[in-house]
Amino acid sequence: MPAEKFIYETAGMQAGAKAEARAIELLRARDPQGLAAAYDLYASPAFALLVRITRDKIVAEDLLQEVFLRLWNHAQEFDSNRGTLGIWIMSIARHLAIDHVRSAQNRFSTKLRPIENADAPCFLRNPNTEQSRITDQQTVRDAFATLNAEEKRIIELAYFEGFSQTEIASRLEQPLGTVKSRIRSALQRLRAAVGEVGQQ
Amino acid sequence: MTHAEMSELYELYALGVLEPELAAEIERHLNEQCEYCWEHLRSAMQVTAALAGTAEPVSPPRALRRRLLDSVRHGRPAAIPSFAVFAFSAAALACFVFFITWQVATHSTQKQIDALRHERDQLRAAIEVLSRPETRSVEFGKTENGPHGRVLLSGNGGIVFVGSQLPQLPAHQTFEMWLVPANGAPKPAGLFRLNSAGDSVNVSPLPLDGSTKAVAVSIEPERGSNEPTTKPILVVPLG
Ligand SMILES: [Zn+2]
Repeated sequence: MPAEKFIYETAGMQAGAKAEARAIELLRARDPQGLAAAYDLYASPAFALLVRITRDKIVAEDLLQEVFLRLWNHAQEFDSNRGTLGIWIMSIARHLAIDHVRSAQNRFSTKLRPIENADAPCFLRNPNTEQSRITDQQTVRDAFATLNAEEKRIIELAYFEGFSQTEIASRLEQPLGTVKSRIRSALQRLRAAVGEVGQQ
Repeated sequence: MTHAEMSELYELYALGVLEPELAAEIERHLNEQCEYCWEHLRSAMQVTAALAGTAEPVSPPRALRRRLLDSVRHGRPAAIPSFAVFAFSAAALACFVFFITWQVATHSTQKQIDALRHERDQLRAAIEVLSRPETRSVEFGKTENGPHGRVLLSGNGGIVFVGSQLPQLPAHQTFEMWLVPANGAPKPAGLFRLNSAGDSVNVSPLPLDGSTKAVAVSIEPERGSNEPTTKPILVVPLG
């Protein structure tokens, strides 16, 4: 299934399903080697995501620790056949980071840039100027390049900044229906684009 | 919610942009063990997780790996911010609702699922209280190794207790929360146990009125008591 391949080969997640299954097995046995294995598979993409959302490496380090400790404490919940460890780690990392930004903004609202003024550097920069050390990330970026500016902005607000669809609609002054259909078509095209690559 | 209605929503749910009520409906459908929808959702979540790949590549410092592994090898996870420290915002609790949906979707026994659902309902109620603008928070317990957490208070009713490092209880005992008035007997305000993460959340069914001076927690027999039968393990003054 291309989507399965996709998750392992994107976001720096070159880990095969086997390595993931092995890590889960060890984690379920409360073996710290399992945590080490999961860390080696996903710490880098998770950290990149945490830094991207919080824009603060020190905070990102704390949150990365938190993500993996939760993994350690919740290891019993993983089924080694399902190939979902990466999704779980990235989801938790994203939730924690967005929550951190939100609560930091509430407490120190003068210190941080308001979210609406934040630009979208990662989607807008030219991938060719990047040290493209992971070809698979190149694949995601290439797929992204096929999205139009509106779609990119919406995905940015949703994924990295954690806004709901109604918040996005009012922020961009677009009808809710338009926002919904743009999200859906963007993600579906992304999947299709990367799926094709996966099948080559 | 039907399959057909669900098919419009997998991507939106995976991206986390749906309003909480709609997300809750989807979770209800998923919790009916709909393998078809779960499969589609997983696929949408895979695409969503891959969005992280567009972030600037940056590796965590090497020392972090060692610190993390040392802390689990020596059983010192207390050095890490706990649930109660994180649970001061609706977004943080929503993150736990996500855990639980996840757990429900991957667990098999009905008993576990029922316990998880109860836990999730408590969290949802807590989110509701937290999202009210007038809600205020009182912290208790200063040490990471002793019981600590927060009591969240909303004027028009709604008292949420969020605690970490409470003692493990045998099956025949439970925690009971009490609202302590200036005069008169404490009022029972709900039974709770440690949740799947070893923390606890309790949402009082009673409204908060001006006479409540403190929230207390005692250890009671499994079915609870009408008045505390043991010395409270915690008393949190609300003043
Ligand atoms: Zn279904």
